[in-house]
Amino acid sequence: MTENVKFAIKNLDFFYGNFKALEDITLELNQCRVSALIGPSGCGKSTFLRCLNRMNDLIPTTRVEGEILLDDQNIYSPSVDVVSLRRRVGMVFQKPNPFPKTIFDNVAYGLRVNGVKNKNLLRQRVEKSLKQAALWDEIKDRLNQSALGLSGGQQQRLCIARALAVEPDVLLMDEPASALDPIATQKIEDLIHELKNDFTIIIVTHNMQQAARVSDITAFFYMGRLIEAGDTETLFTRPGLQQTEDYITGRFG
Amino acid sequence: MERLHFHHELENLKITVLNMAAQTRDAFENAISAYVRRDSDLAQQVIDGDRHINQIEVDVDKRALRLLALEQPMARDLRMIIGNMKISNELERIADQAVNISERSLFLSQYPPLEKTAAMDRLMETSRTMLKQAIACLRDLDAQAARAVRKMDDQADEHTLQVLKSLIELMVADAPAIDKRRDKTRRSIQTIIISRCLERVGDLSTNIGEHVAFIVEGINIKHQKIQEEDGEI
Repeated sequence: MTENVKFAIKNLDFFYGNFKALEDITLELNQCRVSALIGPSGCGKSTFLRCLNRMNDLIPTTRVEGEILLDDQNIYSPSVDVVSLRRRVGMVFQKPNPFPKTIFDNVAYGLRVNGVKNKNLLRQRVEKSLKQAALWDEIKDRLNQSALGLSGGQQQRLCIARALAVEPDVLLMDEPASALDPIATQKIEDLIHELKNDFTIIIVTHNMQQAARVSDITAFFYMGRLIEAGDTETLFTRPGLQQTEDYITGRFG
Repeated sequence: MERLHFHHELENLKITVLNMAAQTRDAFENAISAYVRRDSDLAQQVIDGDRHINQIEVDVDKRALRLLALEQPMARDLRMIIGNMKISNELERIADQAVNISERSLFLSQYPPLEKTAAMDRLMETSRTMLKQAIACLRDLDAQAARAVRKMDDQADEHTLQVLKSLIELMVADAPAIDKRRDKTRRSIQTIIISRCLERVGDLSTNIGEHVAFIVEGINIKHQKIQEEDGEI
């Protein structure tokens, strides 16, 4: 059975000024699968992730060559509206970054920015998103309290709920659990397993065990190049290339 | 993020299993010598030495479990630990076969020797070679040599069958007195048991080779027909 390709990346180069941070990346990421990007610091995995919803556009002097197709459409084509792209491709960052607003307003923020004013619809979407983010039961009685009063793990799940509220297709996660304790990390990992039924998830992680636990596909980056990508179980038990083997067994990096 | 401490521990585990392999090979060689030379002292020495090999197996299991739990090994490191655990288990069973052979030899050395059979000599030689080669491929982590070990397994099986046939013939052959025939039957049965032990050592050596192929290549060649592997089917 062939899987639906969500993202098709073709010969992608990425530059910070004159520095080539990504070189000739060709990779397909499938729909409703979790893809993990691993590699040592500075290998380009976060840069690559940020290319997928054009977050790098915010950094001056950056430049992209090659193609990134989302559902067969090149996201770098001039006709693409970046705001609507980012609605389709949501993002969660390493450090939880709730707005200094109520829990409700945090989750409703994206909807309001997109012009949703119907209070019933807002309530429904906020509840649905918080349930999807496995946070509803913990905070349903204090939706009007500040989000800053939540624990770190709860704040991160709130940020996931906020990203889900605008009903994206894809969720990008940049080290989503690296600032969290083991129990909060476990909740995020369980959540990822749940969310992949409905969303395409692409996660950058420094924690290889985490990549092994949560992902279906793993891509190993090194010095701006994609070295090897494939089925996670195979990559972590029987990688195809010595360089991958050396990295995941801790023989360099 | 080089994992020096972990790799040092892993190296030590490999050395321990190799050391266990050397002791097991000595036990098996001594068991065969004790049988051939009818040397009761040597047979007793093999029986007494088994406790030590058992202890190494327990130690390997304990250390491997600790590495699995604490170090979360990946890829070849993971296979190395799992493979070495399994290999130490096979070695322990080979050492048990050496004990079994030695116990039969103690019995046989009380009686006059049976007529020698060529099949028994061939079986001893084949099982010794298989164990030696299995240990060599473990030492060298040579998956091709590991495959060669299992190709010898059919020979060991064939020799075992020949031993059985020739000893059955011996048992049913006419003997001048009923008592003498009874002794001969006893000795023949003990010798058949020895041949069975030798054949098991061949099987267990084959298993070691299969574990080595798993460590090196990450594929499970157990229960796979040799012809399939060679691409003949």
